[in-house]
Amino acid sequence: MTEDYITMNRSDNVLIIGAGLAGMKAGLLLAHAGKKVYLVESLPLIGGKVIKNEESFPNLECSTCMVAPVQQDVLQNPNIETLTHSAVEKIEGEAGNFRAVIKKSARYVSMTDCIGCGMCFDPCPVSLKNAWEEDLGERKAIYVPCAGALPNVPVIDPDQCLQLNGQQECSACADSCMFGAIKLDDKDETIEVDIGAVIISTGAETFDASKLPELGYGKYPGVYTPFEFERLFASNGPTLGELTIRDSEKTPGKIAIIHCVGRQQVGYCSSVCCMYSLKFAHFIKSKLPDAEIFNIHSDICLPDKNYQKFFNKVKESDTTLIYSPSPEESKVSQNGSGLKVVYTGADGKEQHVEADMVILSGAVIPHPEGSSVATIAGLNLDSYGFFEAGKDDIGSVHTSREGVFVAGSAEGPKDIQSSVIQAESAAGQVMICLGEVNR
Amino acid sequence: MKAKVGVYVCECGPNIASKVDLDRILETLPALDEYREIELVVKKYGLLCSADGKNYLEEEIKSNGFTHLVLGACSPRDHNKTFIGVCKKTDLNPYLYKIINIREHCAWIIPDKEKATEKAISYLRGGINRVLYQSSLFEKQLDIDPDVVVIGGGIAGIETALSLAGEKRNIYLIEKSGKIGGKSSRFSSLLPRQGKGLALIEEKIEKVSANPFIKVFLESSLESIIGFLGNFEIVVKSKNGNTDIKAGAIVVASGYGLIDPLSSESHSYSESDDVYTSLEIEEMLKEHGKIMTKSGKEPASVALVHCVGREEKGYCSRICCNYMIKIARYLKDQSDAIKVTEFHKGLCMPDKGDQSFHKAMAERGVEFRRIQKITQDGTKISFTGMDGSPGNADFDMVILAPAIVPSEDTDSLAELLEIPVSETGFFQEMHQTTDPVATSIDGIFVVGAAHSPKGITDSIFFAQAAAGRILTHLIPGEKIVPEVKVTEVLEAFCTGCQNCLDVCVYGAISYDESKGVSVVNEVVCRGCGNCFGSCPSGALRTKHFTNPQLYQEVREAIR
Repeated sequence: MTEDYITMNRSDNVLIIGAGLAGMKAGLLLAHAGKKVYLVESLPLIGGKVIKNEESFPNLECSTCMVAPVQQDVLQNPNIETLTHSAVEKIEGEAGNFRAVIKKSARYVSMTDCIGCGMCFDPCPVSLKNAWEEDLGERKAIYVPCAGALPNVPVIDPDQCLQLNGQQECSACADSCMFGAIKLDDKDETIEVDIGAVIISTGAETFDASKLPELGYGKYPGVYTPFEFERLFASNGPTLGELTIRDSEKTPGKIAIIHCVGRQQVGYCSSVCCMYSLKFAHFIKSKLPDAEIFNIHSDICLPDKNYQKFFNKVKESDTTLIYSPSPEESKVSQNGSGLKVVYTGADGKEQHVEADMVILSGAVIPHPEGSSVATIAGLNLDSYGFFEAGKDDIGSVHTSREGVFVAGSAEGPKDIQSSVIQAESAAGQVMICLGEVNR
Repeated sequence: MKAKVGVYVCECGPNIASKVDLDRILETLPALDEYREIELVVKKYGLLCSADGKNYLEEEIKSNGFTHLVLGACSPRDHNKTFIGVCKKTDLNPYLYKIINIREHCAWIIPDKEKATEKAISYLRGGINRVLYQSSLFEKQLDIDPDVVVIGGGIAGIETALSLAGEKRNIYLIEKSGKIGGKSSRFSSLLPRQGKGLALIEEKIEKVSANPFIKVFLESSLESIIGFLGNFEIVVKSKNGNTDIKAGAIVVASGYGLIDPLSSESHSYSESDDVYTSLEIEEMLKEHGKIMTKSGKEPASVALVHCVGREEKGYCSRICCNYMIKIARYLKDQSDAIKVTEFHKGLCMPDKGDQSFHKAMAERGVEFRRIQKITQDGTKISFTGMDGSPGNADFDMVILAPAIVPSEDTDSLAELLEIPVSETGFFQEMHQTTDPVATSIDGIFVVGAAHSPKGITDSIFFAQAAAGRILTHLIPGEKIVPEVKVTEVLEAFCTGCQNCLDVCVYGAISYDESKGVSVVNEVVCRGCGNCFGSCPSGALRTKHFTNPQLYQEVREAIR
């Protein structure tokens, strides 16, 4: 292999894994600089976790309104190739000269022919729980995860579709489509791309509350995880924003929000839970002015110049703050038709509050996709399972492999601002990296 | 020349065609009396956004030689850009085209086909009237200067400079003191999670000195600035005179100050007391290698008081909890016998690596005491516990964590740069969550603790983020294209009241004393229309959103 050959194979393209806000922001910057960006997302829609929230703290801005223009910009940018419903299977090579293998799962709906009218949903005979809605709502075998999903093109779930899983002949969706957009014979596709640098922005999840059985998650319908509550509250969610307790018509009168769930187990403070827990109190009060709300907390972490103002407002008018040295050790039990939360009070003695609804403010943990990406790309994770970045550095987006960068919650729990900052930082470091290796 | 307007309605498959009577539109519009003076071509098509549809439209524009184009189709959010792209392939100026949303606004929301059709016709008439009043607009390309001015030689400024400097980009680093490094270079050590720590900061300082593309101005300040993104002209004032600099962007990294603990009602002490601020302890340690009382003895008991001035300032300073734990480690490293008590109001440890450090120090015997209220008089501490019980204690030494405040030159810099300051006194970012490093002036960024209280790690990320913005938007040798839908001043109508100067958040309007009128810098203006609304004499006009254009559209649409 001659030296010329190597030089010719050097690539200016960038692969971004994860199309949440961090991935999209980084992609837009690099696309503006003329780089070809492959933005790979495992879900059929882009936007990440932020679009699950009706409003974002601290200014309670409509999250969709904040993110939708970014999603539109990404989808309409000629330099960005968005690959939804896709996964990276292999990354080989070195900085400036990687080759990635990407598997595009069959969508069974043509991205170019479908106009997103949604006429195919009703005829589909299969109904099941919608995981994107935290199983609080239903979807069909052909579906978009939520109203307003972008790209606004449905996907068929091959395990559930009667035709595709071989249970029976069915072409109800295809028959209803006026555009011939449904391709029941669609196949998975594997593509290979040459890239010069990679940004990993696979995001985060929340702590699995069922690991703390005393908190009653999965046992009592009135106990919710943070994202379940976000979807319950969302006006485009399964109840259209009506706050009724799971599997009932009942509106909660008393709500307990337990902070720091899983903090001791994961070994770090997640830095965003206090703020979203306070936001929940405010949300509930805005819809149920007579509700009694208790925030059972230990430390209050408000790490931004604008956060304490929000805390003061919520403390004043929305909730009763209850200090407990160890809120995550609270116990939730049945109490007549409602629930009872027993916690350790400030004096070290057991106290309790009654509640109809309990929200468990779970720690932020690495997204499970992160660890598979780490394996594929040969990257180190830290002791918490997040991507290790700049091991000996004070602050860095460089992972353990040259030319591969990390941004957003894939590196550790972050609020939106910090995720955007890291995304912009990673975009800059990619520019520097490509400038140096391709000189 | 007689106007020739093409009107194309899209069937959008059945989406529009089944709910709106497109044939009636085709019959109605050309027959209208008011269009006698113009030539109108009205047609329908299956799916205009498809590849065939776009080709069809392009051919239609070319073969008919339209002067204006109106499309009755979907939301502009879906396909406005698509059809602008089609116009750009022809001689038709894209600002002489308009998309009218007859899908979401008519077909999808009105069950009665007749009513939906009537509404679609009204909207299309509004669109036709509007385009006739629209004017061609042309994009301009501007040369840019890729160089960058960085204000402040602390860690944020240093990181910005190092990320940006290169053969094709010079960096001018302006520092008010006699050396770069900022407050972090006064520390004795950094946090355990901060890698090689201080050695890295020293390395970075050396890299700045060694970099031929970074010019450092010590004991210097910003004297004046004019210009806009890509083309700023700056004067730097130094001891031996002024220097003129041209740059494409400016990064503000002016750092922070600390509140005077005595300004808080809860704290009182005199110079003779063994009471220190955290920064004084860092400096004591760096200078003497030991933490000692004024009488030269090692303290047997030390109280570390968090959140000094927090209530007064109204925000948490984010970094104090961590560095107070670090100070506890200094003391424990010095002697395990020192009794260390941290009085805090809830620990803020927002980085994943913080809690393990806290845990390690708790295990080494540091007492973390959560309190509701605290007052300090010299080395005497009185407090209220979380259960409401009072307590008090006397210590050999008290170390305070004063709230982080904006650096003292924040307001004067804000005035010079014409960027706003938030209610907390720090510089105001463009958007708190989604655009934190930008300011209201394109090309001016704010990083580090000038933005908000932050530690070295986050200052580095902010600096790299600003660098990311500049590296992707201000590329040496490339041009920038400013907004074309900007506001213009009709000088004959301008009374010189200067209302518009107050409402313009981008600093795009200035006042011409000699003519007595406002002047808009079209490169800086973003066409938001704020000034347009504030003008009492109708002297301002935002291109593509003029009063006649809006009036004509609305008049027809509601007729």
